[in-house]
Amino acid sequence: MIRTSLFKKITLCGILLCIYISHVCAQDADPRSTVTPKELADTLSSVNVYGRRPLATRQALHGKELQALSTTSIADALKYFAGVQIKDYGGLGGLKTVNVRSLGAQHVGIYIDGIRVTNAQNGTVDLGKFSLSTMETVELYNANKLDDCQSASEYASGATVYLRTRRPANDSLSAQLRMASFGTYMAKANMQFARKGWCGFVDIEGLTSAGDYPFRYKSEFEDTVGHRDNSDIKYGRIEGALFKGGFSSHIYYYYSERGCPGGIVRRLSDKYTNVGREWDGDFFTQMSYNWQAGNHRFKVNAKYTNEYLRYCTDYPENQNTAKVNNHYRQEDIYGAACYSWRPWHWMALSASYDIRYSKLNADLKHFDTVHRTDQKQVAALQINWRGMQLAASLLHQHYKDYTQTHTGAADPLDRFTPAISLGYTVKSLTLRAWHKKIFRAPTLNDLYYTQAGNRNLKPEYTKQWNIGAEWHYSSPRWNASIQADGYINKIENRIVCLPLKGTYTWSMMNYGYTYCRGLNATGNVRHNIRDWNFSLLTSLTWQRDLDRTDPDGDIYNKPICYSPTLSYGITGIVAWRRLSLTVSDLHVSERMWSYADPEDFLKPYNNIDIKLSYLHTVAKKTDIGICLEVNDLLDEQYEHIPRYPMPGRNYKLTLSLSL
Amino acid sequence: MRKTIFTLILAVMANMAMAQEKIILLNEGNWQADNGRISYFENGTVMSNQWFRDMNGYKLGDTPNDIIQVKDNLIAIAINWSNIVQFITPEGRAVAATEDVPNNRKLASDGRYVYISSYGHECGTVDGMKEFTKGYVAKIDINTFKVVAATEVGYEPEGIAYYKGHLFVANTGGYAFQEDHEYETTVSILDAETMTLVRNVDTRQINLYGKMSQSGKYLCINSPGDYYDIQAAAIIFDCDKALQGNDDCFVSLPYAATYNCTTRDGKFLAVGSRYSYYTGEYQFNYITIDPEEVMMSNGSSGVEQSLPGTVLEDIKKISMPYGIYVNPYTGYIYATDAGEFVSGGALYQWSPEGLLLGKHKVYINPAHFLALPPDGHFTGIEDVTSTEQEDGYMYDLHGRRITTPQRAHIYIKNGKKVLK
Repeated sequence: MIRTSLFKKITLCGILLCIYISHVCAQDADPRSTVTPKELADTLSSVNVYGRRPLATRQALHGKELQALSTTSIADALKYFAGVQIKDYGGLGGLKTVNVRSLGAQHVGIYIDGIRVTNAQNGTVDLGKFSLSTMETVELYNANKLDDCQSASEYASGATVYLRTRRPANDSLSAQLRMASFGTYMAKANMQFARKGWCGFVDIEGLTSAGDYPFRYKSEFEDTVGHRDNSDIKYGRIEGALFKGGFSSHIYYYYSERGCPGGIVRRLSDKYTNVGREWDGDFFTQMSYNWQAGNHRFKVNAKYTNEYLRYCTDYPENQNTAKVNNHYRQEDIYGAACYSWRPWHWMALSASYDIRYSKLNADLKHFDTVHRTDQKQVAALQINWRGMQLAASLLHQHYKDYTQTHTGAADPLDRFTPAISLGYTVKSLTLRAWHKKIFRAPTLNDLYYTQAGNRNLKPEYTKQWNIGAEWHYSSPRWNASIQADGYINKIENRIVCLPLKGTYTWSMMNYGYTYCRGLNATGNVRHNIRDWNFSLLTSLTWQRDLDRTDPDGDIYNKPICYSPTLSYGITGIVAWRRLSLTVSDLHVSERMWSYADPEDFLKPYNNIDIKLSYLHTVAKKTDIGICLEVNDLLDEQYEHIPRYPMPGRNYKLTLSLSL
Repeated sequence: MRKTIFTLILAVMANMAMAQEKIILLNEGNWQADNGRISYFENGTVMSNQWFRDMNGYKLGDTPNDIIQVKDNLIAIAINWSNIVQFITPEGRAVAATEDVPNNRKLASDGRYVYISSYGHECGTVDGMKEFTKGYVAKIDINTFKVVAATEVGYEPEGIAYYKGHLFVANTGGYAFQEDHEYETTVSILDAETMTLVRNVDTRQINLYGKMSQSGKYLCINSPGDYYDIQAAAIIFDCDKALQGNDDCFVSLPYAATYNCTTRDGKFLAVGSRYSYYTGEYQFNYITIDPEEVMMSNGSSGVEQSLPGTVLEDIKKISMPYGIYVNPYTGYIYATDAGEFVSGGALYQWSPEGLLLGKHKVYINPAHFLALPPDGHFTGIEDVTSTEQEDGYMYDLHGRRITTPQRAHIYIKNGKKVLK
């Protein structure tokens, strides 16, 4: 009995706690094969006391392998990692968020060049907004990265996704045109330079898609065919970056208009669509500088973000929800200073202070501007002594809000949280164990949204325990690695939107404890012989995610909805000279979506993608490329959320030119 | 002697009646998940939690919101998010569905027409599409299953009742916290025959939302307030006085009546809470209202903080009360628990004296009840004939209109199967 459109966003984002899809992974490429000496020099900052054998649980996709996968957005790339579940409402413009090891999307921090992408309003980052074309590496760390000089906010999430911007090594100009199924057209241009130690690029992209893909629901009780409505998207993105040595900077603007389609329900005619449309305008500019003086390292970060969101349901076709036309504006100013001292080569001590000021303005009824200050400090220790490794950190966070909203500001939040990692390396085998406790603060929506916000919310805590092992083998022709991690996660005081007893209204509440045990494993083999290159990348996630909320409740100890028990991915890449073929299969096992009926489950699915690309040199330094992709080759009809069908088989043809 | 036989017959009938406890329960399901379902409960057993599917081979739709008996052989169901009114027989067989009543809410009937409130702003009628600024009430002819008239009332009209040729519609204005209008405070009175507005009665309470029960000339209307500054109230409304133009036709009580129902002796049972977003705290109430006494005493008496037998104690233990009902034929008492919203809800049954008889597993968000009359109560059963018109449109096997038929699929056109 929902009577407001706000629940389109809130219930689906909040109540359906997390959508668990998990996948494959592709791992640490051999650094030698993808990182040029110059790039290696540029990235020395990320080589820390642990050298190339990170103590953290890490998965990464680099340059060529990243490009070989059938991916267009960051979300597409992340689904190849073990333990990652993508939440996707379907539709080409649909919101895409990731969930790592069932912690929930708001515990996953997304960092571009070490600076967090934030959204004070709802805490989730739509990964569809970031392009892979400007990225060199996509990395996923469970808990956090362990660099010896990193900012406090880099310690402040349950899982961290690092996007490292590509640093150009030469001058070039390139352009790309793409035509794809469902009326999708994309154009992109990139101009890059590298001279006198400076390098940088400007990257422009535009896309339009009708997104009207066909779907079919077939069961004992229905055979529904149709086309997805209101799932179109248009976006433009322009960004630039400039680097020199320890200095890096990035400027970014993204604008989009998209439809937010509703669920496919019984209707006698298609007259009334659930029309909600969303406009986004996101701007950020950031800068980072790090330098070394003897055994002292320093880093400073600064960022300014300005985000605009408009959500409108005021259309004649929309008879089913309240007619709203709301505008939200967020501004965010961030600064960080980090210092590390390495008294001996085997030990590093570091401290960092971060401050962020956020402001949210919205023309909601009964709402007033909210200001938030968020300060973090961290003290960390790292040791690597004769193969024995230790990392320990203590993070302090302080949140304070200011608002005239009539429920008043929430009480300030002031908490300490620890993390500790231990490792031992012998020859090519590393054993590791770590624990991390971290919380997410209630977002401004959680606290102040009209007729749902609850200023009395407590933070949502996660506690993670992990043990794992990693093994590497390397020879001139062969390269192999295996990694396996077993983990236990507990989530306490989940922040969810729940109906209020005896009122017909909803509110954000702290409700729910979950207990999750799982195993993430990845295995990769690479072989090269003469002109041939072979790669096989595999990943596996097994997980039991249990409800531990109410010992007397019916669902105590039952699996959490949307959480698959098993998912795996296999990706094979065969390259001959400049011709490359990638075939990948992602499998997700069945997921319950309600406890009410054994029939309420989402079918398991296999997603098979094929990508064939060829690069041809037509003149000196002039390449043309052609690439054909087929996604969901078997045309499997699947869903991440019931009644939100995903697109079936689709094609992409891309032409590229670079000078 | 005659009296003894009569008593005996009564006792036998009562026994039969007890053995013929028949309840249809609407499970709303989850919004936009297309999983509205009907549970059918008979003689102490849930016979099916997907009754409509069992009987018809297809799904009911998204968020069924109200169910009423129109006449002996016809039942109407308002399916909110599917924009239709589904008609079924008491055996559960689909008869017809009226579409183009988007965002429909609650039902009333005089046995000849079905009246339905809607939050929407347009309605497909026999005279074409009608548009409204606020909400409306549609009138459906049950011979043709077409909307024959629609009349604008207040914003987001909710509860609707039929009394003496008039419709009483509680307006909520429930979208006020998002839209550019204020909460409504009125009950609109329409002439059911002409579908014209007679007058609006200002109850001076906002947001007349939720279940509205009727007991003869009395209505029990819930006002949840705005959950910030304005507190919830329960309004007892006298339809006769309202028709006479009397301004004292209602009394406000300082209780919430979120879930309410009518008892066999004409009282109202109500369960509700008064919630504040400031404090995040509830004030629950469980009450029995005698409308006659409330009206006579102007609210100073007529409310008891009790429910029959152990019903109050049992409901207090329910994790999420979601509906309360008394079988008008037998007096058995029912309540539902929505549980944790992703788990199946539960149906509780009590004897008329309030003795807990059982707890039964039903489906998600069980909310709306209809008791079927025990067998002896049927009079003049009519044959229901399908009145699907020959409209020339193509439908799939589930009654969805198809605009672009696929090859090699079976469709229904003018009541006949066709292969494309």
